[in-house]
Amino acid sequence: MTKTTLTSTVLAIAMATSTWMALPAQAQTNPMASAAASAPLYQALGEKAGLTALMDDFMARLLADPRTAPFFKPANQQHIKEMLVVQFCMVSGGPCTYKGVDMKTAHASMDITKGDFNALVEVLQQSMDATGIPFTAQNALLAKLAPMHRDVITVK
Amino acid sequence: MKNSLRTALVATAASLCCLAAQADTGKLLLTGGVSTVDGAAGGGLTPWAVIGSNATEGEIGATAHVSRAKTQDYSLTAFGAAVGYKDRLEISLARQDFDASPAIALNGIAPFGVSPGQHIKMDVLGLKLKVAGDAILDSDTWMPQIAVGLEYKSTDPGSLQSVLNFLGTKTTGTDFYVSATKLFLAQSVLVNGTLRYTNANQNGLLGFGAGATGRDKPSLVPEVSVAYLLSKHVAIGAEYRAKPNNLEDVGRGAGLGDALAEDAWKDLFIAWAPNKNASVTLAYVDLGRIVPGITGGRTQTGYYLSAQLAF
Repeated sequence: MTKTTLTSTVLAIAMATSTWMALPAQAQTNPMASAAASAPLYQALGEKAGLTALMDDFMARLLADPRTAPFFKPANQQHIKEMLVVQFCMVSGGPCTYKGVDMKTAHASMDITKGDFNALVEVLQQSMDATGIPFTAQNALLAKLAPMHRDVITVK
Repeated sequence: MKNSLRTALVATAASLCCLAAQADTGKLLLTGGVSTVDGAAGGGLTPWAVIGSNATEGEIGATAHVSRAKTQDYSLTAFGAAVGYKDRLEISLARQDFDASPAIALNGIAPFGVSPGQHIKMDVLGLKLKVAGDAILDSDTWMPQIAVGLEYKSTDPGSLQSVLNFLGTKTTGTDFYVSATKLFLAQSVLVNGTLRYTNANQNGLLGFGAGATGRDKPSLVPEVSVAYLLSKHVAIGAEYRAKPNNLEDVGRGAGLGDALAEDAWKDLFIAWAPNKNASVTLAYVDLGRIVPGITGGRTQTGYYLSAQLAF
């Protein structure tokens, strides 16, 4: 088995396991609109609709980019998109609670280098450009996500 | 000699393009800095703690640059290349060619035998090692990326050697520095502070140290850069680089007043990176007084233009 096939297989098993074991994400939609109003970043990202559009574009690009495709082709893409919407909603101050697997567990079985992580960030930047998210909002979001590199990068 | 060095550098840069396929992943745009005049990655004037090129861990990358600065009385052309290894080590080599034509006026002070149109050449070998932190990804802490480095400089003054002998300066020297760099990602602002231990005069173009009443020993001088990311492709910023000013007292001791005074270097810059492989930097530079005794006490201001290729 080549390393890529092995990684994909392990990834597929890990994703399947985490999907089966994880509690379904409960996006707690708060009827109070003021919850969103007090989160300017969540607003700048287009709130739920904007994040959904972003993730659709993001996943398509991840599958098309040869650097990231090996990680995402074998994965449950719909589930990942839904998880990401909730997670980005939460870190940007929106009215969501992420109840998926923690980042460390989700990535522990994969070989992810800093180059892989940066490739994903680059693809995310492309998606944010494509969906019209302003540059300052992009950087504010990246600032919230960047510390996750400690849990996501497994190959030092 | 100069042409073959330039040819060698271009050939090296061209052959390194084959590494582009492997090393084209890795860094976010403009986060490797541009090339300083001394060759290290950073702003135009000051080295940052970032490791040059696009390579991240497990990868090797390279950059090549060419720069030109022109002020009222002087001009400088510089070119060089750098290799970044695993986002931890950077090795750079740069050649500076400084047009010191005004120096012919020194023959009026003493029979120095300075030739017309004299150029001063300086080679800089740089080493930089990242020792802690991540300038970009540690966005939830105050921790900067920290690097230590050295720049070994060797100056060829041509017919100005007699002047350097009079000043008591040496023609080789080594600067040591520590840099701390942080990108405040949420604010799109990059800040760098460098502390340099040096006895270089005008960065080494006028030799190192000083004899007689001047300062021969190295001193600690601070350097600061601030940059604002306007967009993914454009950054603007400012730099300030203090100088040890070793020679002013030599001039005073010889009854020449502030003829040999040296001031801080400053600039305002804009950098544009259309993609990960190229960047252009344009700056307004204020290099302060450079041998004001022969340049009417003028402050040297002008432009700085630099192009960089990265792999």
